[in-house]
Amino acid sequence: MSITYLEAIREAQYEALRKDPSVFLYGQDIATFGGAFKATKSLSKEFPNRVFDAPISEDAMVGMAVGAAVEGARPIIEMQFADFSSVGFNQIVNQAATLYWRTNVPCPITIRMPSGGTAGSGPFHSQSMEAIYAHYPGLVIVTPATVEDAYWMLLDSVQLDDPVIYCEHKFLYYHLKADQIGERGLPIGKARIARPGRHATIVTYSAMVHEALRAAEELQLDGYSIEVVDLRSVKPMDTDTILASVARTGRLLALGEAFPWGGVTAEIIARVTTEGFHLLDAPPMRLNSKDTPIPYHPNLWKSHRPTTSTIAGALRRLLWY
Amino acid sequence: MPTIPILMPQLGESIAEATIIRILIEPGLMVEAGSDLFEVETNKATMAVSSPCAGKIGQIVATTQTSYAVGATLAALEITEEDAQSLGMGEETKPSSEAPHARGSTDVVENLHFQISDTDVISTRQPTVEPVVGGLPVPAGATGASYISPRMRARMLELGLNAADLAGVPGTGAGGRVTVEDFEAFLRALEQHRMTPASPMRIAVADSMRRSWTRPLATVGSPIMLDAMLAHRKKTDPKPGPALYVIRALALALAENTAFAGRLVGNRIVHPLAIDIGFAVEVDDGVMVPTLREVEKTPLVKLVPTYNKLVEQARARRLPNDVNRPGIATVTNFGTFGIVWATPIPLPEQNLVLGLGAGSKVPHWSEEVKQFIPVTEAELTLSFDHRVLDGGGAGRLLKRVAELLQKPELL
Amino acid sequence: MALAPSINCAETDLTVDFRDQFLLTYQHMLLARVLEDKLGSLYRAGGRIVGGVYIGKGQEAFSAALGVQLRKGSDIYGPLIRDQAGRIAYGEPILDCVRTYLGTITGPMRGRDGNIHRGRPKEGLLAMISHLGSLLSVVAGGLFARRQAGTLGDSIGATSIGDGGTSTGAFHEGLNMAAVEKLPIIVSIANNQYAYSTPNTRQYACENLVDRAAGYGIEGASVDATDLASCLKAFRAAVARARSGGGPQMIVGTLLRLAGHGEHDDASYIPDKTRQGPSARDCLAVAEKFALDHGWMNSADLRDLNEEVRRNVDQTISKVSKEPAPDPFKENWQALSCADLVEGQHEA
Repeated sequence: MSITYLEAIREAQYEALRKDPSVFLYGQDIATFGGAFKATKSLSKEFPNRVFDAPISEDAMVGMAVGAAVEGARPIIEMQFADFSSVGFNQIVNQAATLYWRTNVPCPITIRMPSGGTAGSGPFHSQSMEAIYAHYPGLVIVTPATVEDAYWMLLDSVQLDDPVIYCEHKFLYYHLKADQIGERGLPIGKARIARPGRHATIVTYSAMVHEALRAAEELQLDGYSIEVVDLRSVKPMDTDTILASVARTGRLLALGEAFPWGGVTAEIIARVTTEGFHLLDAPPMRLNSKDTPIPYHPNLWKSHRPTTSTIAGALRRLLWY
Repeated sequence: MPTIPILMPQLGESIAEATIIRILIEPGLMVEAGSDLFEVETNKATMAVSSPCAGKIGQIVATTQTSYAVGATLAALEITEEDAQSLGMGEETKPSSEAPHARGSTDVVENLHFQISDTDVISTRQPTVEPVVGGLPVPAGATGASYISPRMRARMLELGLNAADLAGVPGTGAGGRVTVEDFEAFLRALEQHRMTPASPMRIAVADSMRRSWTRPLATVGSPIMLDAMLAHRKKTDPKPGPALYVIRALALALAENTAFAGRLVGNRIVHPLAIDIGFAVEVDDGVMVPTLREVEKTPLVKLVPTYNKLVEQARARRLPNDVNRPGIATVTNFGTFGIVWATPIPLPEQNLVLGLGAGSKVPHWSEEVKQFIPVTEAELTLSFDHRVLDGGGAGRLLKRVAELLQKPELL
Repeated sequence: MALAPSINCAETDLTVDFRDQFLLTYQHMLLARVLEDKLGSLYRAGGRIVGGVYIGKGQEAFSAALGVQLRKGSDIYGPLIRDQAGRIAYGEPILDCVRTYLGTITGPMRGRDGNIHRGRPKEGLLAMISHLGSLLSVVAGGLFARRQAGTLGDSIGATSIGDGGTSTGAFHEGLNMAAVEKLPIIVSIANNQYAYSTPNTRQYACENLVDRAAGYGIEGASVDATDLASCLKAFRAAVARARSGGGPQMIVGTLLRLAGHGEHDDASYIPDKTRQGPSARDCLAVAEKFALDHGWMNSADLRDLNEEVRRNVDQTISKVSKEPAPDPFKENWQALSCADLVEGQHEA
C-alpha cells in the first residue's frame, strides 16, 4: 500500500471537506470530471454541493473566493495550471492579499497551483509562480516537496486565516510515493533538513529537493557530505534554519526551478549575505532554470532546468573554492 | 551491456580541472582494469586516468589540449553486468538515467529523469570548464591566493588572529587560498603543541612589526671606521656610548635634509616636526624605544645624562608616555649582540632605522704610510621605506652619517 | 433599439410607500451632495484631505435608488467610486466617509487606505480596490458562499460600475460567473458618458450597454438616471426579482457626471452640447421639483432639511478634524492575520 503525492493532495481535500463544512472546492473541470490531474477525483460525489466546476475565468474564481471568505467560507481554488493564475493575478495580489490589512477581515482562501515543468509541457503549462506571489505582502506561499507535506501543508493551508498559494509540483504527482502519509510534520514557516551534511548547504524547495538529494548522493561518492534544506514554505522563509545550516557548512547553493531573475534563490542569497556574511567561506552560488520561456521538446527542457548533474557540477565548483 | 562513463577523477584536493594531453585509447579497444586511458596535466603534475574495470571503449568525448572539470565525462566504457553491479552502477543507479535514490527519506522518486540514451548523456555533458568560476574572484589554476573569506575573517577576529598567523597554512581552496577547513585543521594541529601565552610586550612588538611590514622595506649598508669615535670617547667625560654617537650624527644629517625622514601618506610626504631620534633598548622579551628630543640642538656630551636616564627608565619599563610625538627615526646598536650585519625593521610610524654592527680589527690600506694598518671597522645599515627613499638617497644619507662619525669632535 | 425595456415612472406607481421611499432617498441624495461639495472645497483648500476626492455629483439619484433598496447587515453591497449617495442610503455613516478622506486612525481603514476605498466587509459593505470590475465576482462569491452554507435566504448582493468599467475582463468574468450560478445580484451601470476623459464611443460598440444583458442570459433594463422616480421604480423591480430567485439583474442608467473624474479634473473634455443635453439634468433638482410638484414637500421643509444636512456635515467634519492620524510607530506593519507567519524582522 502506497500513496502518491497527487493522492495525498486529494486525501487532504477529502479530509478538509469532511472536517469543516465551510470548505468548498471551486475550479475548472474539478467536479464530475475530477480535475485535469484527478486531484479531486470523486470528491463531488462524496461531498454533494461542495465541489463546483468554474467557468474559464481565473479572475472571477479568485474574486469569488475572496467574497466567500468574507462570508466565513474556506474555499479551495484549483488553478488548472499555475501558469493560468496570471489571469487571476489581480484578484490574488490586490484583492485577496490586501483584504486583511485594509479591512481587518481575514481572507482564508487556498489557491492550489499545479506548478513546475514536466516532459513536453512547454511554455504555458510548466511555470513556477511562487516568486511572483511571494513578492506581494499578505500572501503565504507553500511549496511541499514530500507526500507528507503535500497532505499536511494543504490541510494547514485551508485552516490558515490568510490567503495561501499552494504550489504543488506536477512532476511529483505520480512519481513521488510514500508508504503512508505519516505523522504531521513541521508547521508552515519551518524548513526541514532533508539531509544533514557538513561541507556545503543546498537550500531548495519543491521538486528540486529530490534533484538536490540525488546530487548530494553523487557527491557523497567523492567524500563530500552535502546538507539539503527543504524550505517547505518559501514565504515565510525560515531564515534561521538556513543560517544555522550555513553556519555548519560555510558554503551555500541556492537552487530553484523558477526563472533566474530575482526570485526565491536571490532572496535566499540576499538573506544569507546580509545576515550571515560571517558564515560564508565561499561566495554563495545560485542555480535556476535558464532565462528563456520553458521549452517544449524534452531535449531542450532537460537542459533548461537544473538537473542532478548540473547541481553536482555547481556543488563541485562551490566545494572547490 | 551496461555502459558507464569514464569521468575526470579527483586528482588532488585543490584540483578542479585538468587538461587532456594525450589520448591512449580508441573506440572499440578492449581495456583491463587499471589500464591507462588518458594522460592529463594539472597545474601540479601530469598523471594518468585509468580504467575502473575491464571493458570495451565506446565513444570518446574528450579531446586533447582541452580542460575538463573533475567529474566531467571523458569517454564511455561498455562493461559486464557483473562489473556494473560491483561498481554500484547496476540498473537502478546507473548514472546514465538515474542517480542514487535519496537516502533516509520516506519518499522515493521514480523516473524523475527522462529516459535518455547513454550516448545522449555523454554528448550533452558540457565538455569544457569556464576558466573563471562565476562570481568568484580567484581564477582557476592560479596559486598563492591571499583572499580571506568573510567566514575566515570572522573566525580570525574571534580568535584574535592576523593574516600573518596563517602564513604557515597551505591552502587547499581556489588558487591555494586557505579555507575554513584548512584553518580549523591548522588549529587542531596546533593543539598538539605545547603553547604558552605570549607576553604583552611580545604582542606589542608583533603588532608593531606586522604594521610596519605592510610597506616595501629595503636596507643598504656600508662599513665605517670607528677609530676616531673610539679615541674621542676615551677622552670624553661622561663617556657617550657608540649608539649615542650614531644618534647625534644621524640627527645632524637629517637636520640638513628632513625629507629623508618623511613618511608617505596617500600622495603626500609628511615631514617631521622635530629631529627626535629613538634608540632600541633590549628589555625582557622585547625591545623598547625611548626618544631623545631635538637631538640636533644639543651637543653630544650634554646628551649623555639624558640618554643614560632613558636607558635606565626603559629597562625598568618606566618610560615617560610621549606617544603624542613619536621619534622620526631609530638607531639600533645590534653590534652589542655581536652581530655584524642585520636588516632591522623601522617602526611603523617611522621611515628609517639606522643599525650599527659589531666592530672588529681589520687591515686597512693606508695611502699615507703605504701599508696596511689595523683599524676598527663596523657595518652601518640603513633600513627604509622604499616608497619614500630609493637606494641612492638612502646611500647618500648613510654616507653623510659615516662622514660625521669620522669627526666626532664636531658632534 | 435596445433589447431590454426602458423604465419610466407613471402616476400609477406613486403609492404612499413609494412616496416615503422617494423622500427618504432624496434626503440621502442631499446629504451626499452637501458632504461631497464640502469634501471638494476641503480638497481645494488643501492640507486636510489626504489624497484625492472623487465625487458622484449628478449620479446621486441612480446610486441612492439602489442603496435604499438594500438591507444593511444582510445584503452585500459593493459600491464603487461615485456611490456616496448609495452608501448613505445603504446605511454607511458619513463618519466613515470623513474619517477615511481625512485618513484618521479612527476610520474603518485606519489610514491604510483612503477616500472611496473603504468598507466594512463583515457588515456587508465591501471595500473596493481600484481595479474596475474586480468587485463583481467578490460580491458574487459572498452570495455563493451563503447559498452553499444555506444562509442566503432572500438576501441579495449589489454592485456598481460605470461605462468604462464594463470594458474590463474582470467585469465580464464576474458577471458571466454570477449568471452561470444564477446569483441574486444587482449590477448597476452608471453610463455617465465618460471614463475619465474617454467618451463611451471609444468604450463599447453596442447600441446600449443593457443589450449585453441578453448575452449573459440575465435580465436587464435601462433608465433615465437623472430621474429619481424612474430609478426607484427600476431598482425596486430588479431587487424584487433578485430576491425571488430571478438571478442577476442589470440596470443601466444614462446620466452625465456633473464633476471631473476627481476634484483635480475640470472635465473640460466634455463638450457644451453634452453639458446642455438631457443627460446633464441635475438629478437633485429634478427630484426636488418632483416632490414639490406632487406636494410631498414644501419650501419650508426643504429649507429645514438643508439646514439640518449642513449642520450634520459640518459637525462631522469638525469632530473628525480633531481625531488622530495614524502613527507609524504604533502601526504593526503586518499584512497577515496569522502573526506567527509574518516576516520582516530580517531587515530591522
